[in-house]
Amino acid sequence: MDNEVPLPPPRRIRHRSPSRARLPSAGSGASFRPRLPRFDDQSSQPSSDPALFSSDDIPASGLENYNAPVSNGTGRKRRYRGTWWGEQVIDPKRKRANFKEKRHLDSGVWMGSDESGADSLLSSDGPAWGEDLLKTTFTSKPPQGPSLLSSKVSASTQSLLPVPILKAPDEPEEHRIARSTVHNCLEKGEETIDLGEAPISEDAYTSLQPFLSIYLPGNSLMFLPTEIFELKDLKVLSVRNNKLRELPSAIRKLTSLEVLNIAVNQLSELPWDLMRLMQAGELKHFTAHPNPFPSIEHAEIRDGVAIDSIPFDHYKIAPLDAWSPVHVATGPVTQLDLEGRRIESSSASVSGHSKSAAPSLRELALRAVSKLPELDLLTDEELEEYPALLIPLMRQVKKIRASGSQQCSVCRREFIMPRTEWIEWWDCVPHENGMKRPRTSGEKLRPLPFKRLGCSWACIPEC
Amino acid sequence: MPLTFKPWPFLPNPPVMADPALKYVTLVSRDGFEFILEREQACVSGTISRMLDPKNGFVEAITGRCVFENINGVILQLVCEYFLYNHRHRNELNVEDMELPLELCLEVLMAADYLDC
Repeated sequence: MDNEVPLPPPRRIRHRSPSRARLPSAGSGASFRPRLPRFDDQSSQPSSDPALFSSDDIPASGLENYNAPVSNGTGRKRRYRGTWWGEQVIDPKRKRANFKEKRHLDSGVWMGSDESGADSLLSSDGPAWGEDLLKTTFTSKPPQGPSLLSSKVSASTQSLLPVPILKAPDEPEEHRIARSTVHNCLEKGEETIDLGEAPISEDAYTSLQPFLSIYLPGNSLMFLPTEIFELKDLKVLSVRNNKLRELPSAIRKLTSLEVLNIAVNQLSELPWDLMRLMQAGELKHFTAHPNPFPSIEHAEIRDGVAIDSIPFDHYKIAPLDAWSPVHVATGPVTQLDLEGRRIESSSASVSGHSKSAAPSLRELALRAVSKLPELDLLTDEELEEYPALLIPLMRQVKKIRASGSQQCSVCRREFIMPRTEWIEWWDCVPHENGMKRPRTSGEKLRPLPFKRLGCSWACIPEC
Repeated sequence: MPLTFKPWPFLPNPPVMADPALKYVTLVSRDGFEFILEREQACVSGTISRMLDPKNGFVEAITGRCVFENINGVILQLVCEYFLYNHRHRNELNVEDMELPLELCLEVLMAADYLDC
C-alpha cells in the first residue's frame, strides 16, 4: 500500500509576503506544524524573543530538541511518527476523536434500543475507524510546510534540474508548462522556444532571497563560532540567555541582520561594529537589556565634559535624531603600545612619529602573517618553539584570525594590534523598541557603551 | 639584554669625534650590506634612536654606523624600505599598507620586534 518510507522533503522557499509568512502551510492542514510561525519576527516584542518569553519551560523549544523525536516526560502530548525527516506530531484533536470513537466501540455499557444496536455499530463505524487508524499510522506524507532553512543555491538547482524524485510538490503550473515546453524543444531538436502567452499568475514569482533565522537561546554559550558570521543573509539572530562575555566584532559581516537579541548575557560593552550595523545596516530591532552594562553615571567620561552637562536626562531631539542612534558621551582614550599593552596616560611620551597613521612595521608584518595559509595548522605546541618575543604576537594573530578580522573604527582598515581604545556612549532606543516609535522630546536617554578600537595613535575621537 | 653594543674592532678608522647631529647613518647587516639613510628616517625605530642618542654613550652615536649582527641583508632592506615608507606617510591619513613578501614576514616580525618599530 502506501506505507513505503516517505522521501525527504524537498527544500522550499519561504515566501516573504506577510500573508504567506504568517500561515505558510494553510492548505496542508494540521498534519505538520512548522515551528516557524511561533518565532515570527513581525510579532516581536520589546524585550525578548516572543516565543521564548512564553515557552521557556517547553523543552522542545530549545535547539537541542530541534529534531528530537520523543521527549521522555511530556511524550503524551507530542508524539512523532515516521522517519526523521517526515516526523509528524499526531494532532491532539484528531486523537481525541479517535479516542471517543474507540470508547464508543469498546464501551461495555450499552443501552439496547430499537434503532441502534451493537451490530449496526460494529458494521458501520468499525471498519471506518480501522481505516482511520491505518491512515494515521501509515500515511506519513512528506511535510508540507516550508523548511526553516532554504538557500538560493538549492532553490535555483531545484528549478533548473528536473530531478524526478525530489520534484517540488507545489511547483507552479507555469513552471511546469514552461519546463515541458523547453524539454520538448530539446527532445525534438527545435531551435525556437516559444513561451508566448504563458499563463502568469502571481504565484509564479517567489522570492529567492532566503530568510535565515538562527535562534540559540539558553545554550550556555561562552562564545559564538566564527562560521555564524559568514552567513551574510542572516536576518534574525538570537543568543538570548547565554554566557557570552563579548560579542566578536566580526558581527559587522552580518549586513542583512534585522533582528538581534543579546539579552541575558555577561556583556559589559558592545562592539562598535554593532553601531555601524544600526547606522548603515539593516538592524532594526536590537534587544540589549538585561546585561551587566555599566551605568553612564558611574562611568569615566573624557576630560572637558562635565557629567552634569551630558544631556541624557532631557534631550532635545532634532527631527533627524528621532530615529537614529545619538552620541551621548565619549570615555577617555587609552593608548596601547606596539604590543597591545596599555600605556599609562601620565607617561605617554607621544613623540611625533608615533602619531602617524602609517602602521608600524610590526603591524605590517603581523598583517602579512595573518594572511599565511599555514597559520591555521600551527598548533600551540609548535608555537611554543617560536622565539619568545614572537609568541604573544602570534597568539594575538591567531585569536584575530579565529574570531574573524577586526576593523579600525575610525579609518576602517583591518588591523591586528589595537593602538587606541575608548568607550562611546550611544543611545539607540528606537532600535531597541524595534523602530516602532521615534524618540520624543524630553525622553530620558538610555545610552549603551560601545567599545571603539583604533589602529594607530592617529585614530582617535574627532572632537 | 640584547642592546649592549661594543665598539667593533674591525671598524676602519673610527672617527674620533663625529658630529652628533650627523645627517646620515649607516645600517649594516650581518652579511655586510650597508644602507645609508637619513638619521630622522632611521629614528622611527626606537632601538636605533636610542643607539644614536649621544646621551646613552654608545659608540654608534659617534660613528653613525649601526651593525646588526642578527639581521641579514634581505630583511634589513625591507626594514629600510619601511623607514622610507613611514617617513613619506608620516602626516597622512588612510595610508596604504606596505606590501611585505609573505615568506619573509616572520623574519621581518622578529626584526621589527628587535628594532622596536
